[in-house]
Amino acid sequence: MTIRSVFAMLPLVFGAACSDSGDSPKDAPPQIDAGVADASCFTDPHTSYEIMNACTTAVKVYKDSHPPLLRADGTLPPLP
Amino acid sequence: MTRLGFLIALAIAIPHRAQAATCDTLTNPIYLQVGDTQLNLMKRLGRALRDNTPKPITLVFITSGSCTNIQAIYTRVPVTANMQYVPSIAEDAAWDPKTSATLTCTPPGTGVVPDIANSALFNSACTTADPPATVHLTQGPAQAYVMAVPTVSTQTAITLEEAYFVFGFGMAGMIAPWTDESQLFERTVTKSTQLAWAANIGVPADKWKGVKLDGSPQVVAGINAGNASTIGILGAEVYDANRATMKALAYRAKGQYAAYYPDSSSSSRDKKNVRDGHYTVWSPTVWMDTVDAGGAPVKPDARYVIDLIAGKTVTPAQSFGMIDIVAAVGLVPDCAMGVNRSFEGGPLKLYRPTESCTCKYESLVDTSTCATCSSSCATGVCRNGFCEDH
Repeated sequence: MTIRSVFAMLPLVFGAACSDSGDSPKDAPPQIDAGVADASCFTDPHTSYEIMNACTTAVKVYKDSHPPLLRADGTLPPLP
Repeated sequence: MTRLGFLIALAIAIPHRAQAATCDTLTNPIYLQVGDTQLNLMKRLGRALRDNTPKPITLVFITSGSCTNIQAIYTRVPVTANMQYVPSIAEDAAWDPKTSATLTCTPPGTGVVPDIANSALFNSACTTADPPATVHLTQGPAQAYVMAVPTVSTQTAITLEEAYFVFGFGMAGMIAPWTDESQLFERTVTKSTQLAWAANIGVPADKWKGVKLDGSPQVVAGINAGNASTIGILGAEVYDANRATMKALAYRAKGQYAAYYPDSSSSSRDKKNVRDGHYTVWSPTVWMDTVDAGGAPVKPDARYVIDLIAGKTVTPAQSFGMIDIVAAVGLVPDCAMGVNRSFEGGPLKLYRPTESCTCKYESLVDTSTCATCSSSCATGVCRNGFCEDH
């Protein structure tokens, strides 16, 4: 699957995963970085995690980031 | 032209440096020591209060770091440097809060302890000491903070992990394009902008790599003169006033699926993501005044100003729209917030203000879909001309 086809599928992913984000892909700026789309969003958020990932019509910027110094388990090393 | 004629002409042509007035000769002066992120608020509110017919007040202020301001009122440190104020309409009808400079005055006597001190973040981020019993704290509008880059930058977002390596490791963090430590513009350790970002990315304020600058204008200048590897931190309202020359990055906090701007898009000004918790780097502004042993404000007009800023009803009612001023300077009134937190960078909680002003706020910064009203609503409460849901 190409990156282009991944982008083409994003609207479908959003539409299926989040009832109030149907226009998100339309709003998303063209410079959105390649990355993993949210698997779901929360329609009735309560916890901090759910609030940050609640369904929204706001522009989302996906960034596939792999800092070289990030540990293999995804944790941050101590500061130098 | 004779020598005398030349000197006379020169004397007329060169503007004299005006002798700064003594601040206590101004109408009903209230002395404030505030963060420099609050300068735009001081200018707009200062202008409105000079001409507040029911209770004219002159805001006489000086800007400094939030932690310095807290100490100033906790330990009653007098201000001795010249202070700022804005002219009334009668004094200068053409004065514009966006573009005009403030006026200066000299504090009376050997200095003046501020009636009001401001911290643009939780006081606990500066000191673990409890406030003295003589100091009263009031939570005001929310203040967002951004990471901004020059318009030449192709970057649109930064993650918590990237910010941790950029500012905690500098060049050794290897986060392109932000590997030039001379192009990382930050603030000194008493400033709310530095402390708020420090709490959010997990890099203590005094451990940051890069160039520490005393004022927001210096960060703005650094970004404006920068290149693709430049990045700086600013209060969102400072960024809002400089959008033509820079752009804010969307930010992805720990555990977030995507990065978000403070606003619903890079070009909007609605602070939607601050209000609903998608943009996590924000703090409440805290406003402090002095109280007596019974808890009553020592200077009631100082509390009048604080209550105005906090969105409370004041007596006599002011002659201007306070939400309009807060919205215009890029702050979010507490009554429009849908989330809150209890310490700097802490977890978010859903929040329901006692009296919502979301419809009014959105009408000022975007477009409100709420019904308008003059006295009553079919559903909700008529407030500020809109049917608010509560």
